[in-house]
Amino acid sequence: MKTMRGESGGPVQVIRMSFMFRVQHLLLMVSLFVLAVTGFELMYHENRLSRFLIDLEGGILNRGIIHRAAAVALMAQLVFHVFYMLVSRAGRREFREFLLTAKDFDDFLQAIRFNLGLAGEYPRFGKYGYKEKFQYWGATIGIFLISLTGIVLWAENVSMRFLPKFMLDLTLIIHGYQGLLIFVILLFWHLYIVHLHPSVFPMNRAWLTGRVDAEWLREEHPLEYEKLKGEGVL
Amino acid sequence: MRGTVWAAGLAAALVLGGQGFPTQAEARISLEKCVICHGKGEFRKILVDGKIRDLFATGDSLKGSVHEKKTCVDCHFDVSEIPHRARPRRVNCTHCHYKGNAEGAPQSDASLDYFGSAHGTAIARGNPKAPLCQDCHGNHQILKAKQEGSSVAKGRVAETCGRCHIEIYAEFKTSIHGVAVARGIAEAPACTGCHGEHRIYSHLDPKSTVYATHVAAQCSTCHESVSIMGKFGIEADQVATYRNSFHGVADRFGSKTVANCASCHGTHDIRPSSDPMSKVNPKNVPRTCGKCHPGANPNFALGKMHVDARKKESGIVYYTALFFKYLTIGTMLALILHIFLDMYGRTRRLRGEK
Repeated sequence: MKTMRGESGGPVQVIRMSFMFRVQHLLLMVSLFVLAVTGFELMYHENRLSRFLIDLEGGILNRGIIHRAAAVALMAQLVFHVFYMLVSRAGRREFREFLLTAKDFDDFLQAIRFNLGLAGEYPRFGKYGYKEKFQYWGATIGIFLISLTGIVLWAENVSMRFLPKFMLDLTLIIHGYQGLLIFVILLFWHLYIVHLHPSVFPMNRAWLTGRVDAEWLREEHPLEYEKLKGEGVL
Repeated sequence: MRGTVWAAGLAAALVLGGQGFPTQAEARISLEKCVICHGKGEFRKILVDGKIRDLFATGDSLKGSVHEKKTCVDCHFDVSEIPHRARPRRVNCTHCHYKGNAEGAPQSDASLDYFGSAHGTAIARGNPKAPLCQDCHGNHQILKAKQEGSSVAKGRVAETCGRCHIEIYAEFKTSIHGVAVARGIAEAPACTGCHGEHRIYSHLDPKSTVYATHVAAQCSTCHESVSIMGKFGIEADQVATYRNSFHGVADRFGSKTVANCASCHGTHDIRPSSDPMSKVNPKNVPRTCGKCHPGANPNFALGKMHVDARKKESGIVYYTALFFKYLTIGTMLALILHIFLDMYGRTRRLRGEK
């Protein structure tokens, strides 16, 4: 298999993540990390590591302040992201790539069939395959939902005006498990797609450089590769 | 008649008396001299504020008390002249009550905690109303705390404290703990059960057992115990559910403003939630919560307060937690399964390409 070479001799690369997306990804990463750490500290407050971290943050009240500050950052990003995806030209173009279609579900089923040895051909993906799309929508909807329960808990004095006690207990349970669920999905799904997958191991560097090898694109996202070729980008 | 009793007392003192006791002769001399005046029934002094100080004391005064074998000057050791030139000072119990004493007093320094306590420091600051040992333990008729008649026995200590803390005594008397103590329930706490005995501090003093961050631990000493609570049909996991709540976690990490047990249930006036006067009666819950959460409404009082999501009785909370638990485990397994399938398929795909 010959590797495509660019004019400078290095492999030919194409832009996969624009600057705006890299910034958004970075902010998302930081705020999710802070939220997960400060959130699980509370959820598992008996744990010695949690207690150490809470002390490090300067007490349980500071933990809450940090958690809510990161939550505000995350929610602001979500609002910005929605506008960016729906209003800006670059965002709209990306949004179209992210829209779920019947093909994605077909791809998903066919991938499973292929992996089980029941189908002869692995599905051919566009810029984003079902793995990326499911993750994107899962994360976006998850962040939206966890924000809702988070706001109910944050504005406890307002919530207590309308809700019975068990609704707040329920909200707390749901908020905690939502966090755990998002964490699990990120850990197993995202880690696999961009770190552990043999084609990108140890890491897909697009989140830093914005670029991926055209060769990688040809293998993992052939439809996108052909589209770029057709447009004359490659 | 009195003479016979006296002789019996002296005989007992002679038989049982330890080292350091006055000899029989000395004791007799001391007592004979004292009762010349103090043995008269009308021997009393009218103080400037109009109060009457009864000065009557005879050989019978100590009878039956822990100091039965003592004589007047063992405690009133500053008295050496009759009539007394200066007013005899209040008795200083630490003369004998310290560890290593040779007087036969209990070998314990526990009482020394008193000097750092709210009462001891008040005395040291010169507050004439603050209590000394004898104000709680009694004067001549001192009994062991375990003896029922003692002024510091569980059944009577509230009354003793109430001589000064009268409003608190009134609150406590009708509270669930007060009623239980009055009924003779051994597990129920009287004043000292929560506040400690000699080491009583203001609830604003971090050394206090009832300081904001210590309240939960103090209540838990009994309320966490299944064996104690089981006897009275009270749930013992109220403690655990509190510890896992926002309030409990904040309390555990040192918040002084967060609600502890007493913030909601009250302090001396704790009553069962079924009591309409209870702070945690559903009718009063909005007001109780409202102390910190303005706007808490009657709706909020619906249902249980101490909820454990791991218990079936918690209803929808339990089932939601259960649902999420299996959803999370299921998701995790599905993702792992998918990852391995995908890796396996990929090796096949690459092999096929070659």
